[in-house]
Amino acid sequence: MLSTLLTAASLLLVPTLAVFADEAWNVDYHFALLGAPKEETSFFHQPNPSSRASLIYTLSEQHALGAVNPRDGSLVWRQLLSSDGIAYRNSFLRAGEGQDVVISGVGHEVAAWSAADGRLVWSLSTEGPLEDVEILELSDGKETAGAKDAIALSSGANPTVQRIDGASGAVKWQFIIDGSDAPYQLSASSTQIFAILIHKTILGYVKLRVVVLDRVTGHKVDEYSLSSENELSTTENIVSVGANSASPMIAWTDSLYTTLKVNVVGMKSMQSFDIASHDDSPIEHVKVHAPYHVNSLSHFLVHYQTATSHWADVFHINLKNGKVEKAYSLPKLAGRGAFSTSTSDANVYFTRVTRDEITTVSSASHGVLGRWPLNTFGVVAGIGEQVEPIHAASEVSVKGDTVSAIRTTILLSTGDWVMLRDGKGIWNRPEMLASTMVVTFALPADAAALVQQLEVEAHSNPVAAYAHRVQRHLADLQRLPSIIVSLPQQIVKGFLGTSADDLTASDTFGFRQVIVCATREGRLVALDAGSPDKIVWNVNVADLQPGQSWEPYLASRIAGVVEVSSRAGAGIQYNATNGQPLAERLPVVPEGPQVPSSQVVLYTVHDGTLEASYNRTPAWAFTPMHGERLIDMVPRPVNDPVASIGKVLGDRRVLYKYLDSNIALLVTAQDSMGTANIYVLSTVSGAIIYSNVHTGVDLTIPIASIMSENWFAYSFTNEASDEASKGHQLVVGELFESLVPDDRGMMGATTNFSGMQTATEPFVLTQTYQIPEVISKLAVTRTRQGITSRQLLAVLPDSNGIVGIPYGAVDPRRPVNRDPTKDEQAEGLVRYTAVLEFDPKWFLNHQREIVGVKNVFTSPALIESTSLVFAYGLDIFGTRLSPSFSFDILGKDFNKLQMLATVAALAVATFIVAPLVMRKQVDQRWRFL
Amino acid sequence: MLLLTPLVFATLTSIASAARLTVSIPSSPPLLPNPGSLAPSTHAILLGPPGTRYSAPLRRDNTFAFPDLEEASYLLTIQSRDYFFPPLRVDVTKAADGQTIAAWQTFRGNEWSNKGPQYGSAKGTLNIQVSPSSQKDFYQHRGGFDIMSFVKSPMILMGLVSVVFIFGMPYIMDNMDPEMKEEMAEMQKKGPLSGSNGAASQIQNFDMAGWLAGKGSGAESGGTVKKR
Repeated sequence: MLSTLLTAASLLLVPTLAVFADEAWNVDYHFALLGAPKEETSFFHQPNPSSRASLIYTLSEQHALGAVNPRDGSLVWRQLLSSDGIAYRNSFLRAGEGQDVVISGVGHEVAAWSAADGRLVWSLSTEGPLEDVEILELSDGKETAGAKDAIALSSGANPTVQRIDGASGAVKWQFIIDGSDAPYQLSASSTQIFAILIHKTILGYVKLRVVVLDRVTGHKVDEYSLSSENELSTTENIVSVGANSASPMIAWTDSLYTTLKVNVVGMKSMQSFDIASHDDSPIEHVKVHAPYHVNSLSHFLVHYQTATSHWADVFHINLKNGKVEKAYSLPKLAGRGAFSTSTSDANVYFTRVTRDEITTVSSASHGVLGRWPLNTFGVVAGIGEQVEPIHAASEVSVKGDTVSAIRTTILLSTGDWVMLRDGKGIWNRPEMLASTMVVTFALPADAAALVQQLEVEAHSNPVAAYAHRVQRHLADLQRLPSIIVSLPQQIVKGFLGTSADDLTASDTFGFRQVIVCATREGRLVALDAGSPDKIVWNVNVADLQPGQSWEPYLASRIAGVVEVSSRAGAGIQYNATNGQPLAERLPVVPEGPQVPSSQVVLYTVHDGTLEASYNRTPAWAFTPMHGERLIDMVPRPVNDPVASIGKVLGDRRVLYKYLDSNIALLVTAQDSMGTANIYVLSTVSGAIIYSNVHTGVDLTIPIASIMSENWFAYSFTNEASDEASKGHQLVVGELFESLVPDDRGMMGATTNFSGMQTATEPFVLTQTYQIPEVISKLAVTRTRQGITSRQLLAVLPDSNGIVGIPYGAVDPRRPVNRDPTKDEQAEGLVRYTAVLEFDPKWFLNHQREIVGVKNVFTSPALIESTSLVFAYGLDIFGTRLSPSFSFDILGKDFNKLQMLATVAALAVATFIVAPLVMRKQVDQRWRFL
Repeated sequence: MLLLTPLVFATLTSIASAARLTVSIPSSPPLLPNPGSLAPSTHAILLGPPGTRYSAPLRRDNTFAFPDLEEASYLLTIQSRDYFFPPLRVDVTKAADGQTIAAWQTFRGNEWSNKGPQYGSAKGTLNIQVSPSSQKDFYQHRGGFDIMSFVKSPMILMGLVSVVFIFGMPYIMDNMDPEMKEEMAEMQKKGPLSGSNGAASQIQNFDMAGWLAGKGSGAESGGTVKKR
């Protein structure tokens, strides 16, 4: 009877391990990010030429191409142009005026994307890496109607200029540039195309070579060099090569930034301008901002930036004789500045964003057309940190002589991408989180303080503890007024909401943990897992120079404190709630048995050999066979509580788990044979306790692996063979002390066990499942005491999701080729099937698309049923999971109103029935007597 | 015309030399009436022998294009946010002039040689159509409050029956004809639980002190109680 009940219960439970419709958009959170937008590839553009509504297009540092709605900052569409994480030097994004496509160029691929919905229109691979992509704005009648052609410049063995048909993506002509000069950029006029190349002279200087091509035929028309007179030492001093503006030009400076040389493309002469020094500090960089439209005025702005201030000069080009004249200057202002160019018909407007204001001027005169003061950018920054604009893009609408409305997107020094409308913040995208490298969870400092106080009380003598407790309660009394004020609100909330909603008031469930992310730019950014919509704090911890990188390591050993350390530097501790640096003391690593043993074992890879040292003395080394390389090693997590040492079978007997905290899963690959080797090692002795080999494995596709409790899992992709089907496989293995129930095998009755002395080998059950797609990363849910069953979390890069596979679905003990017995049914085991389809209900992200996830971090909440999940990479995604259902918390399914209504109905019924019963009893008495 | 012919021929041979696969998603009501509604992240993956993997994003005309395929056996999967698509096997083989390309349905977890219906076969360029097999349903709906299921539950049914008895019995008794009533009263008197000799009254009037004192174990009523 009991077993049938259990079976019924398990049958009921299995399908409900899923995302509930009412929790879907509330419990989880997601930032669909692009990464830091690049200045040259971020602009406003109308996706539909007939409508004036525009979107913001950007191609970010992470090569994510996307369209953002300027109204609310939401992502309209997104395409990841470099899925394998290769950082290309150059990336381009161009939008032709009045075109419904945007054209990207990344790596070897030029592609046109539908501007409205992000569908591919055409793509073209080039032989060498791309150096420039431009759109031929001026029509020459050779294009397909309605589509403007593109030109691409690629380097490599045969530097090539190609003209690409705007409608089909076919190459119309190509021209191979002779010589060994490095291609640099392209520029076009109405009749000619200019390819600008870098020629290195013997003395190490740089000369600019210009190859002039005919637009229609692609034949070389002319070629000349610009005599830069030995002043150009690197390409970094070339500040601009214009394209598509009414009068394209090339500008460069000498290495000390004393003179600016300008050459109008097509002219062989150049003009030089002295750069006035406004400041003691030297100029750090010079930037040219020019309109990107052929029909606009041929004006441009040169922006000079020093460490402390910035200013700008505006120049006009006389189209008739190609003479460049300085028109006016914009005054020096403190801090960094960002300039953006916008056009309205032929007029050109320059918008200047500084720390405290936005101003717009016309390119024709220096009169300010609009000025909007800025109090704050509305972003969170470190204490005392000055938020500076890095670059901006603007859209202005002009009525008469004034700017009636302005929308500006600004990338800030904090990494936020913000939108200001008339100087007021509209939205804020935390793009710095797209470069998250490591994360950690920390308890908020206030919760941690209580935990510490309780510990003090637990460890002191009763009298002192009592005194301490009274003192603590007296201190708590100070908060009484605020509690009384919020009491009515809380009562109302308590009646109407559910307990899971009540996160802001107190955090008895441990959902409100601080998630600290270390970004590639050297910042620490903290989110609150309870209210993840806003950034809690954001501080710069590593002052990285351009080109520098760091390897952060984050930990929260003491509750309420986050410690960050780089590989070289010592750790610095931060308050988890507000991000304030604590006293800069070096972390004292506690010695002795307090540290779990797998932290004592230190692994290094040396010449392909995995070396383990135990307390800094070499312990063992694992040298793979000849031709094998290490792919990954996953030790059992340090903090991996297990509630039960055995598995209870349906007949109440026990199968003992092989629980050793010092085991690790090692994956190696043999490229020549196409095999993947799996080893389970004892990290104390270095002994191999299990090994397996898979042949025909595609080693270019990630092999994900995980180890937890007494089981491991890994996935790989294999080629079709006699015994295996082509596709992706997931292998789950479980380690037991013995396969005989109620028997501990070799271990017998021993209470102590040492991996060094006794060589006990576990009995391993494995099972392989055919899965529909690649898994790039595996993780497992973690709960406080390990009572809750575990869920295997798999990152699916192809369907942009994370799937939570219940362990029961991949249990290696599923009976093969037969139906489960009554006892097995009682355990919840179902018959083995080779194919494991990912139920859409298992997708933690449900309808959301999580792109570019590199890792998944899990942390236990304070209540046993729940595990917090946080995925990072490009996107940020977090949720709460209850693999065994919310057995210790009233979830959304608990309807308080219904309960109250039932109580009320019962009360009413009692009141109505009471007199009736009374009368009846009285009547009965009379009748009996 | 004479001038054009060699041009056409040249383009044909260049196409024929490299295998090209175009997968289009047709309008397939009622599941997917408008393939234009597919998310831009929809893409197709062609998994070849180890090291060969192509990924093609969805184009504006609802197709995926794989130009220039090498001779191999490929697994084609289409990944979409909202729909499942069947996996396909695509074989590119060498033919006398150029390459032959063919596509079949394949079944996950079966031998690779186990092919399903053929989707198409061509020399050089193959165009096939693939329709989604089902829509993804991400959400689990909780069994909400339903008045019918509430009433149908055994607890409530039992409660209702007892309520009916409590309120209904007196009415039934009142409406019974006097003969029947007498009969009932008689039966109640005879019944073991009623009357002065009935079990109920005996329990109620049980003389505990007398029983403990060992009074009258034979004829008195205590005996029956002891037996029970």
